[in-house]
Amino acid sequence: MNAYSMTGSTMDATMTADAALSVRNLSFFYGQTEALKNITLDFPKGCVTAMIGPSGCGKSTLLRVFNRMYDLYPGQRATGEVMFDGVNLLESGVDLNQLRARIGMVFQKPTPFPMSIYDNIAFGVRLHERLSRRDMDHRVEEVLTRVALWSEVRDRLRSPASGLSGGQQQRLCIARSIATKPEVLLLDEPTSALDPISTARIEELLDELKDHFTIAIVTHNMQQAARCADQVAFFYLGELIEMDSADRLFTAPRLKQTQDYITGRFG
Amino acid sequence: MTHDRDASSLGRHSRSDQIFQILLACCAAAVLLTLGGLVLTMAFGGTRAFETFGPGFVWHNVWNPVSNTYGALAPLFGTLITTIIGVALALPLAFGTAFWLTTMAPPRIGEIVGTAVQLLAAVPSIIFGMWGLFVIKPIMARDIQPFLTHHLGHVPVVRQIVHGAPFGYGLMTGGIVLAVMITPFIAAVMRDVFMATPPMLRESAFGLGATRWEVMRQVTLPWSRAGVIGGIVLGMGRALGETMAVTFVIGDSNRIGWSLFAPANTVASLIALEFPESPAGSIKLASLLALGFILMLLSFASLAVARLLLRERTA
Repeated sequence: MNAYSMTGSTMDATMTADAALSVRNLSFFYGQTEALKNITLDFPKGCVTAMIGPSGCGKSTLLRVFNRMYDLYPGQRATGEVMFDGVNLLESGVDLNQLRARIGMVFQKPTPFPMSIYDNIAFGVRLHERLSRRDMDHRVEEVLTRVALWSEVRDRLRSPASGLSGGQQQRLCIARSIATKPEVLLLDEPTSALDPISTARIEELLDELKDHFTIAIVTHNMQQAARCADQVAFFYLGELIEMDSADRLFTAPRLKQTQDYITGRFG
Repeated sequence: MTHDRDASSLGRHSRSDQIFQILLACCAAAVLLTLGGLVLTMAFGGTRAFETFGPGFVWHNVWNPVSNTYGALAPLFGTLITTIIGVALALPLAFGTAFWLTTMAPPRIGEIVGTAVQLLAAVPSIIFGMWGLFVIKPIMARDIQPFLTHHLGHVPVVRQIVHGAPFGYGLMTGGIVLAVMITPFIAAVMRDVFMATPPMLRESAFGLGATRWEVMRQVTLPWSRAGVIGGIVLGMGRALGETMAVTFVIGDSNRIGWSLFAPANTVASLIALEFPESPAGSIKLASLLALGFILMLLSFASLAVARLLLRERTA
């Protein structure tokens, strides 16, 4: 039993759309604990999919499956299938470094590397491409412009990234992720550590980025999900309870559990 | 009645508390006094050496009990070179161990190796000394030195370094034993500072498609640089003052030469070897105490540097 069968028509619509990531019967285990239970859903290309739900519901775990981040930790494993560009990315033969260049990730807190602003961007690019000095400069300018940071940092590209404000650092981290030209961008509560103004700027940014990337965002903030997302998935205790377009899920949820969560009755 | 009892028990409590406080203060004072006493004993005991030989005591290359002239240069040279060899050999070993333990080790095996590292750190240095004498020295004499002399013996400059009769004693053997001794210390500190790197920072680098080595070199190492250097200096401090492990294999010869395979001395080994033969009040004893004073300054300096560097990151 999963949310699929219950959300009939709208699900069919998104299913037929070209999906960047197709999750089929995905279960995830931390040791013996099952953190995701038989999840099936699609992330349509060029759309923002938000994942909401109370802490511990498995939404962040799902993100960490997509770039195989869990591989760093012994005892964590996934079963099922996640199709990405025709390949099941859960298979053992997948080149993780290549995969992570194509599926970028931004974390709860800004994580600038202990190096200059320029090198923070160049770091990821250098891992995968050999660019001339001029091309690299161009790439750095391009992504910093895209995250609306260029005008603020153009004069101090060589100074440490730790000197930037929290909001600037997070935009730098987004720039760093898109610098490797990924197809999918995973955002794990990217504004949870930011003030409202910085948050608003990041949300604006997401709106522009979705033309170029498929975005999966985990958020605790339902207004944020309503504002930014095309479709919203509600998770509870490792299960996908309901998934629908943002409009419908927030105004007319099908299930009572969803209704209770979005109206703040639990969570 | 109850009121009285309360008051008296309160009073008693604060009195016992006071006594306890004074006792604790005495303990702390004892530590300070001991340290001060040590420094003063060395300084006063060594004064005669400095008076007799002047500041040149530090840089004179002579240690002659027959003519009763002494200078600290040869043992200082030995201390410096064995420490450098020790740290240079221990560094890659410790780094590799810490790197593996923090990023690749399967949990159970990692735990076993981690414990082994700690056990190695707890082995008394006399054990390393005997091990050096019975295991390392023969290997040096029988295999390493003949091998090096054979292959490098005719290369200019390098020839000087491997030159010497194959006794197995010397700076190189001392350095190797020191390296084995300080590796667990450096590895333990490195492991701690690597583990202190925020997981999210490491994951960010992995998330861009970096390999373990790229993450280590470009993110973890720069982030924990101060701690890593602190750990190295800590190991260096131990190597500087280590006595037993080195005394067994250093060869006891107060000379300065190019060869790493010729017998030499370190400050600590010289003191250990000559102290029993130095009558009270002799200039030789004063010189040994002066050496001790210098060694203590060196150790303090390295400890101070290590603490400064380690604090920078943990603060």
